[in-house]
Amino acid sequence: MPKIELKHVTKRFGKFVAVDDLNLVIDDRSFVTLLGPSGCGKTTTLRMIAGLETPTEGEIIINDKVVFSSEAGIDIPPDKRGVGFLFQNYALWPHMTVYKNISFGLENLKWDKAEIKARVEELLTMLKISEFAARYPSELSGGQQQRVAIARTLATGPKALFMDEPLSNLDAKLRMEMRTELKRLHRETDSTFVYVTHDQLEAMTLSSKICLMKEGLLQQYAPPLEVYRRPANTFTADFVGSPNINLIKAEVTSLDPIRLGLPGKVALVFEPLDKMNLKIGAKVILGMRPEHVALTEEPSMAEATVLTSLPSGMETIVQLKMGESYIHSVVFGDLDFDLEKKVGLDFSSGKFNLFDQESLDNLGQGLLKKA
Amino acid sequence: MSARSQLNTFKSFIKKPHNIILVVLFVVLGYLTLVPLLTIVMDTVTVHSSEARFVKQDVGTLTLYHWKKMFASGITSQKTFYEPFMNTMVVAFLSCVMAIIVGGFFAWTVTRTNIRAKGFISTVFVFPYIMPAWTLAMAWLNFFRNSRIGGAPGLFTVLTGIETANWFAYGLFPIVIVQGLHYAPFAYILIGGILRNMDANLEEAAMLLHASRWQITMKITLPIVKPALLSTFLLVFSSTMSAFAVPAFLGSPVRYQVLTTQMFRTLNGMNPGYGYIMALVMIAIGVGILMLNQWITGRRKSYTTITGKSSNISLFNLRRWRTPLTVILITFLMMIAILPLFSFAIESFIMAPGDYSFSNFTTEFWIGAGRADIANSEPGILRNPSIWLGLTNSLKLSVIVSLIAGTVGILAGYSIAKRRGSRLATWVNNLTFFPYLMPSMAFGAIFLSMFAVRRGFIPALYGSFWLLVIVGAVKYLPFASRSGINAMLQLSGEIEEAGTIMGIGWFKRMTHIIFPIQKATFISGYLLPFISCMRELSLFILLVSPSTRILTTLLFQYNEKGWNQYANAINLMIVVIVVGLNLLVTKLTGASIDKGIGNT
Repeated sequence: MPKIELKHVTKRFGKFVAVDDLNLVIDDRSFVTLLGPSGCGKTTTLRMIAGLETPTEGEIIINDKVVFSSEAGIDIPPDKRGVGFLFQNYALWPHMTVYKNISFGLENLKWDKAEIKARVEELLTMLKISEFAARYPSELSGGQQQRVAIARTLATGPKALFMDEPLSNLDAKLRMEMRTELKRLHRETDSTFVYVTHDQLEAMTLSSKICLMKEGLLQQYAPPLEVYRRPANTFTADFVGSPNINLIKAEVTSLDPIRLGLPGKVALVFEPLDKMNLKIGAKVILGMRPEHVALTEEPSMAEATVLTSLPSGMETIVQLKMGESYIHSVVFGDLDFDLEKKVGLDFSSGKFNLFDQESLDNLGQGLLKKA
Repeated sequence: MSARSQLNTFKSFIKKPHNIILVVLFVVLGYLTLVPLLTIVMDTVTVHSSEARFVKQDVGTLTLYHWKKMFASGITSQKTFYEPFMNTMVVAFLSCVMAIIVGGFFAWTVTRTNIRAKGFISTVFVFPYIMPAWTLAMAWLNFFRNSRIGGAPGLFTVLTGIETANWFAYGLFPIVIVQGLHYAPFAYILIGGILRNMDANLEEAAMLLHASRWQITMKITLPIVKPALLSTFLLVFSSTMSAFAVPAFLGSPVRYQVLTTQMFRTLNGMNPGYGYIMALVMIAIGVGILMLNQWITGRRKSYTTITGKSSNISLFNLRRWRTPLTVILITFLMMIAILPLFSFAIESFIMAPGDYSFSNFTTEFWIGAGRADIANSEPGILRNPSIWLGLTNSLKLSVIVSLIAGTVGILAGYSIAKRRGSRLATWVNNLTFFPYLMPSMAFGAIFLSMFAVRRGFIPALYGSFWLLVIVGAVKYLPFASRSGINAMLQLSGEIEEAGTIMGIGWFKRMTHIIFPIQKATFISGYLLPFISCMRELSLFILLVSPSTRILTTLLFQYNEKGWNQYANAINLMIVVIVVGLNLLVTKLTGASIDKGIGNT
């Protein structure tokens, strides 16, 4: 079954390197998201796997069959790779009805008329768009168009389905609905999904593995919660999670126990859970997820002043000033805080990552204690 | 990169149809446009057979004779080059100003005021551009010719008894008026397009800040449209500069020469070398204009950017002027678009020119068998085999040219849009546009000299119908490729890729997906070459032989012989075919020539 492998894939447009020496293995039946800010090469990667773009160098293997190799001169056309592609703007053919949009590919494969009819009807039912069969795309809402596009892509029964930001044109509510729908389809169709998005929430909620890219370079390839818990570097730490992780510059002031000096004479003890090689005077960055910053009434591990409080009902985002650094905290429940109020901070509920200020890479995890 | 992977890159390059199209176009167009350019240059420095006698050198030897005579020989240069050159510049400049004022005014009125009959005005206003350029020139002569030069007086003189002055009837003044009106629709289409697509929010924002209507027009609208105006000016300038028919009709009677008429005289006469130099000068100006235009639109693109469709912008309320202005505009349109046709009809039914009494009316020139006492017993239009031949030739030529130019234009547009930004695509794009800058007559002249003899596997084509086809197809390719590019740029690449990924072959993608979606724009790419070809004179005038004559060259011959009635009748025929077909195609497919010109 379709396992997708990328070996040393590079794509250059003139002098610009869109994808740089990418190695990736996408397991069979997984749901992988290519995540990153715009221009990071994620769409190019997807298009190269599908065969819509030709890599400058490297090798792509789908289902143990080499579909592209710059050295061996293999370049199998997209339609022979057994993949489906869902486009960002749906790319529905405006001059064909919904039915025709779905059946066109099958007709081209010289399917039997009765078979085509049965297949199209099956898909229309599966995607709950039977009543729109005779309409033209322009007569449908965005969500309905999206379903037609999915039906068209699934028609030929591709074993791998590629999606390029398919939900970015939908409003927030529809997007929620389509996410659920996509997870259901992934289970029902029993195929491999590769999904491009710049929305970290989409990537977190949908995928079995996230491939995070930046400027053509792979940053981290791991299951979503691992990316969240143990980000490979400050970029991936910052990219996932909302509100963003607090990244605070610190200096190692003593070893055994490891003391961190934070701006504004704030000091904390760091108890490593991993083996780490730290030296006195090392410049580091402390990553604190907002939900691990708890507010207390009495002085605890540190003190802070409330700057703003943004209650949204289920949770409240509080911006604080701790020493010289600004940090965010998420407090659960329908609470509000007075501005300028002095509060205590407690960091005992989470694991914290330490990054190197120079390389920005993750140095290891640990717990925080009162200094 | 290793040699092996370079070979593989090459293999994947030629596997894509758009790359093959680009390479083929590059080679073919390079041959059909750049080689001619070299030929022209060579022709300016060689001795031609007709000149051997007074240059006193052998035919074919290299000489600077033409260049010296043309630029540095006192009175000769003055008469053959500098004077016509200055005339050309003056005519082109003034016609341009006229076209922009008239076209711009109509564009503003139709898009920005609450004038009545907008549909009618915008349909009819395009007629003068669709009709052959000399239509208005002939109409002008029909009305205003005077007996001093034109022989029989025109309708105006007959009706009012006032004899028109020479400056009014011939030369600079009527040329500017007629060319200005002919190109006004062109300006109208370009400026109107900008005004229509300009984001209404820009003007509304000013309105909310309490700017008056006048302030908004002067401070917001005009500055935003300015780059487009400038680019319109340049495009119209290059067209008027290379126009031949109008100066030939209106200038020749008083020996008012411009470069194109000079070129016709010299290329057709004893000194082809002069003509080729003039052609070079015009090409140089054309290229300069194009570069200037690209510089302007490129540099200012950031703020001409047309976002969104203009929503219901509040229209300028003409109040009590609404109806009077509507009437004035419609009357004006009648005068420039409808009245000329009546004058052709009337002139073609008149026995002795200048006498409009009822007894002088005759059907002789339409259905007569030919009388020995008039026009060398030439039979009437409808019974005249040479006119029927001209008509079938014209139709055949226009159909074939439009099929070739339109199809190649679509393919070129498709490939250029696919590989936009690549060096090859840029080259091909410029090559497809280059013929636009070549003055028609010079273009015809070069092909004449290029294909008079056998070239490689291409046999000698002089006198053959296919020579006309090649010239026409190359010359009108720019129109078709523009609309092709426009169509493709509006179409997201995903639309085609959705087909690719399903294994739908290239040909089927083109015929079943891309063409049907952009049908209207693509058909405009066929329509424009057809119309242009049907009314073209200067491109073909040097190339036709008796068996390949077409309507326009026949018209020119009849006019030169002074057989006014025939000329008028043929003109009427051309106009009816062209305007009728345009209306029919617009009605049936939604294609229209403004879609084609759109972003020239």
